[in-house]
Amino acid sequence: MTRTIHLSLDINGRRHELDVEPRVTLLDALREHLSLTGTKKGCDQGQCGACTCHVDGKRVLSCLTLAAQVEGRQVTTIEGLAAESGDLHPVQAAFIENDAFQCGYCTPGQIMSAVACIREGHAGSDEEIREYMSGNLCRCGAYNSIVAAVREAAEIA
Amino acid sequence: MRDFSYLRATSADEARQAALQAGAALLAGGTTLLDLAKCGVVEPETVIDITHLSGLGGITVDESGATIGALARMGDVADHRDIRAAFPAVAESLSLAASAQLRNMATIGGNLLQRTRCPYFRDPGAFPACNKRNPGSGCSAIGGVTRNHAVLGTSDACIASNPGDLAVALVAFDAVVDLGTRKVAVDDFFLTPGDTPDRETVLQRGEMIVGIGIPASAAARHSTYLKVRDRQSYEFAAASAAVGIEFESDGRTVRDIRVALGGVATKPWRARAVEQALTGKILDAESVEKASRLAMEGAVSHGGNRYKIELAPRVVTRAILKMAQNIGVFA
Amino acid sequence: MTIMEPRKHGDASDGMVGGRQTRFEGQLKVTGAATYALEYPVDGLAHAVLVQSTIPAGRVVSIDASKALAAPGVLMVLTPDDDLGLTVATDWYGNRPENQPYIPLPREVRFNGEAIAAVVAESREQADEAARLIRVSYEEAPHVASLDDPKAGEGMVMDNLSSAWGDAEAAFAAAPVQIEAEYSTPREYHTAMEPHGLTVKWDGDQLTVWEPSQWSHGMARTYAEWFGIPYENVRLISPFIGGGFGSKGAVLAYGAVAAFAARKLGRPVRLAVTRPQNFTSYGGRAATRQTIKLGATEDGVLQAIVHRGASETSTYAVWPEQTGAATPILYKVENFSSQHRVVPVNTVTPGALRGPGKNPSAYGIESAIEELAYKLGMDPLEIRLKNYADRDYQSGKPWSTRRLREALTEGAEAFGWSKRSHAPRSMRDGKTLIGWGISCGTFPVIQAPSEAMIRILGNGRVEVVSGAIDMGQGTYTILAQTAAEVFGVPVSQVDVKLGDSRLPGSAIAGGSMLAGSILGAVHKAATAARDELIGLALSDANSPLRDTGANTLAFSDGRIGVQRGEGPSLTLPELMAALGRDELETRRNTLPDGATAQEHHQAWTTMAKVQGPTMGEYSMHSWCAHFAEVRVDEDFGTVRVSRMVSAFDCGRLYNPRLVESQWRGGIIMGIGQALLEEGLVDQRNARTINNNVGDYLVPTNSDIPDIQVISVGVPDYNASALGGKGVGEVGIVGVAPAIANAVFHATGKRVRDLPITLEKLI
Repeated sequence: MTRTIHLSLDINGRRHELDVEPRVTLLDALREHLSLTGTKKGCDQGQCGACTCHVDGKRVLSCLTLAAQVEGRQVTTIEGLAAESGDLHPVQAAFIENDAFQCGYCTPGQIMSAVACIREGHAGSDEEIREYMSGNLCRCGAYNSIVAAVREAAEIA
Repeated sequence: MRDFSYLRATSADEARQAALQAGAALLAGGTTLLDLAKCGVVEPETVIDITHLSGLGGITVDESGATIGALARMGDVADHRDIRAAFPAVAESLSLAASAQLRNMATIGGNLLQRTRCPYFRDPGAFPACNKRNPGSGCSAIGGVTRNHAVLGTSDACIASNPGDLAVALVAFDAVVDLGTRKVAVDDFFLTPGDTPDRETVLQRGEMIVGIGIPASAAARHSTYLKVRDRQSYEFAAASAAVGIEFESDGRTVRDIRVALGGVATKPWRARAVEQALTGKILDAESVEKASRLAMEGAVSHGGNRYKIELAPRVVTRAILKMAQNIGVFA
Repeated sequence: MTIMEPRKHGDASDGMVGGRQTRFEGQLKVTGAATYALEYPVDGLAHAVLVQSTIPAGRVVSIDASKALAAPGVLMVLTPDDDLGLTVATDWYGNRPENQPYIPLPREVRFNGEAIAAVVAESREQADEAARLIRVSYEEAPHVASLDDPKAGEGMVMDNLSSAWGDAEAAFAAAPVQIEAEYSTPREYHTAMEPHGLTVKWDGDQLTVWEPSQWSHGMARTYAEWFGIPYENVRLISPFIGGGFGSKGAVLAYGAVAAFAARKLGRPVRLAVTRPQNFTSYGGRAATRQTIKLGATEDGVLQAIVHRGASETSTYAVWPEQTGAATPILYKVENFSSQHRVVPVNTVTPGALRGPGKNPSAYGIESAIEELAYKLGMDPLEIRLKNYADRDYQSGKPWSTRRLREALTEGAEAFGWSKRSHAPRSMRDGKTLIGWGISCGTFPVIQAPSEAMIRILGNGRVEVVSGAIDMGQGTYTILAQTAAEVFGVPVSQVDVKLGDSRLPGSAIAGGSMLAGSILGAVHKAATAARDELIGLALSDANSPLRDTGANTLAFSDGRIGVQRGEGPSLTLPELMAALGRDELETRRNTLPDGATAQEHHQAWTTMAKVQGPTMGEYSMHSWCAHFAEVRVDEDFGTVRVSRMVSAFDCGRLYNPRLVESQWRGGIIMGIGQALLEEGLVDQRNARTINNNVGDYLVPTNSDIPDIQVISVGVPDYNASALGGKGVGEVGIVGVAPAIANAVFHATGKRVRDLPITLEKLI
């Protein structure tokens, strides 16, 4: 018998109740149990950044975080970024305007990382943006546009 | 990942008690434990989540030095203004490690306990032989692809390199690991593999890192961490060096110099021979270069990692000269 | 803080073909609402996990699955002992052997990391844990680990990839200036951010597959043939693909495993290939090596090229990575000889990875030409212009369009090439050596028939419907632009449906052939639909345009009326209402008239109808010139690309914004290839030991400078109906040699084996 535990998680400002095995990661809880598939699985081993979401406002990798660990914390995913009205977050809008993605698979992670990067104050120069966005791989190679989008969003922040 | 039970510790004592059980593992940032659990390298029966403990995440810096709680996140320490001022090498070693996301997760205590990136260690299915995982089974790395393996502190049983950056800076500045009931110098905390590569630190079952202490020193204040790697970011070191220098009042003669290396050894590697060769000396490019080569005394190559023997002293040289130039005593 | 002026989001012309329309599906991608294959909600899902071999060659003697079967949640274990009852499918070219069983979990192990078993359980975690409990007994056989393995041998010559004219050896021997060198490239991997995998579901004998696909029709056909069901019974759905780069154009063994398990269990199954498993579930770019001899006159006129190349392939299939693909067409040369071999080793069969063939080929010839330039003391730009090919010496045909000269000169101008100092090691900044290098690149124009449907709805919305796919190249956007232009409506009035094998047939998104091929079909269908609408508007009794006396109508600014704006005009919904139509549907393809149903099927599901670059009157290719600046730390040997300018001739650009992104993407992958990427194979067991993205390094944001891209192309209507040539592949071709050449210029060291890692420079 595998054991399950009951979790009550605060995700995007809503409470979600779920019963999962303790080993279920936050990433798998989002994707497989809560139908929040905007957070992507690129490597499942902390090497690509596609699964980036925010826990208590800080960017983390959900693939190396147990769902159980974030009970009592506030989780924000890409689905929780735009306003209730549906208006895009400035970073999302800047990504579209600057064509900062192609296939779109790394994009939610890039955007969650970018929002945090700006909030942390690490978007001061292109060089700093590059370094602080380096935890998000993009194989389509949208890096120039990602830097431009982060720079632009940081300027209006 | 094997199924496990989950215990959220409410006190450090509870965590220590629980950790005494066989098959128990402490979970902090998760960046090592969950990664290795997915690889099948570790198979804990019980995971004890210590991230909800309070009081272990503090960072304080005063005239005597820094005290950093075991649960402080790498990112918080890296960005801490007083750490950056009093221990630049420590802050830099953290900023240059992993990625922003991982630094927000990984804790200082967990960082010290990160495991090697040896691909043979990480692939138990294809490489059953690994003395770290399974004592006595042999070493798959020897004779394999060894580009990222250690050249210092190796043994016939293991050539896995320690991947840490922070620990390199810590060992240079005589930091101490606080285990609650005892304190151990970082240099003594880590073990070279010898015949028992499964024993990586002196940590005993049921012990938990509570924090680290770094004594203040002029050398630490005038320090830097230089990391060389294939990729500009988000990669472990091919070779790295933490260096700190204090000069005599003449502003030219070395009173105290600290040198430690990363990416090349089985543990964070203090290069005391380099320090001794330069202490009391006036630095010039030639003497620094010559002294830096002493860092490789006893180095053993396994083929693919031969370049490290050439590279690491150059990293040390550059770091020393950069510090000397920064302090303004050497042009 | 700077307050930005509200951004002008372009104007109406952005929505036309050639406009800079932002990505059509952008909103879905930035909000996480774009749904990828493993994300479809399906009730009653079971999860499958693969077990891969840990030996390079031999056979599975036995598999002990008892512990796995006893593990919690486990539903099924599949091993070589199970007869899946599948039949081998048609190959890419349309050939199918008779009644041959297809065995996705083979007993014979042919490479390390080959799928040999699978576990299906209630959850992925349970399947994963159980998979580790499976014990396999092998009987090992001798193996060949790689091209470097002394046992590899010389392999076999590929006659169809050999080429010769003049007398190359004699001309080389007689040439006053000669160079000869060997170049090699390692195994490289696609590493698309979305790992492979699928969700699969049976309803009776109807199969639905959600799988990332560069070719929905071809992949659906394979499933149908494996399982012996009619093609129509398979529906492969793939509206979003998290990157492919050549890896997602064909079905793979795990797809058969998942579909079989789903049928046997009577439940839908999801199979996620783990990141490490991705490295051996399909092949990346094969390792290559090639020797090039160049003979030239004292003043740098090429006299001969002698090329001998080889690439690794698997022990069970021939996949050549053609090292002589770019060699014959980049320069004017009267004496040429090229031969390519394949060498079987114990690897998964290699596959197409961005710029297949041309990419390693360009690394060879474009390194060699620069070596020759240095030997002659000649500017690398000058030698390229001096030996400019006025026609295709291989096919003897004229170029359709070849603005490589413009790419070289305009690229050089933008880069500031004239300020270069010729001698190696002559540019530095402290401990940093600076170097500049050039390379040309090329990729052929490939065309394939396609089909498209246009549907005009009563509400005035225009639907473009195609089974083509969009993996980020911009298919959605340019199809919308094409329809918007034809109907004179804004892009916001257009809907695009893609990525479904039930939709009209399409070329594969590979070989840079999709945009040119599918736009031809869409434009044809849209024009036909417009003509039909005009006919109705001018003839229908209820049409307000009937009595205008016009013989045609104009579609612009969302209105339909008489040309030059005289008389009444209507919007599309108004016209549809007047005509009493809810819908007008038009389907067109670019096959020859009278093509049979069988030919249709063959056209969409095999490569049989694909047209190569010299099958018509012209030789048709995309071209580019890359200019790279590197900064090399002279003590550490670390290389960073600090500047890159690339000029392209890809004909007409359907959407420059998206094209520029694709070019940059190719260049960035080329930077990775030049400096970082290398599959490391343990010679003892032929295992790829860096089978993850922490150890197989691809560029991070920090590794990439601002890349300036320039278009020098002109429309080429031989290449495609709307004048474009391929865009996606060519960007990477030539990047690695440009960087290698820059590294030589910086350091005086010529690195002839990629990647250029630091140990090669210290």
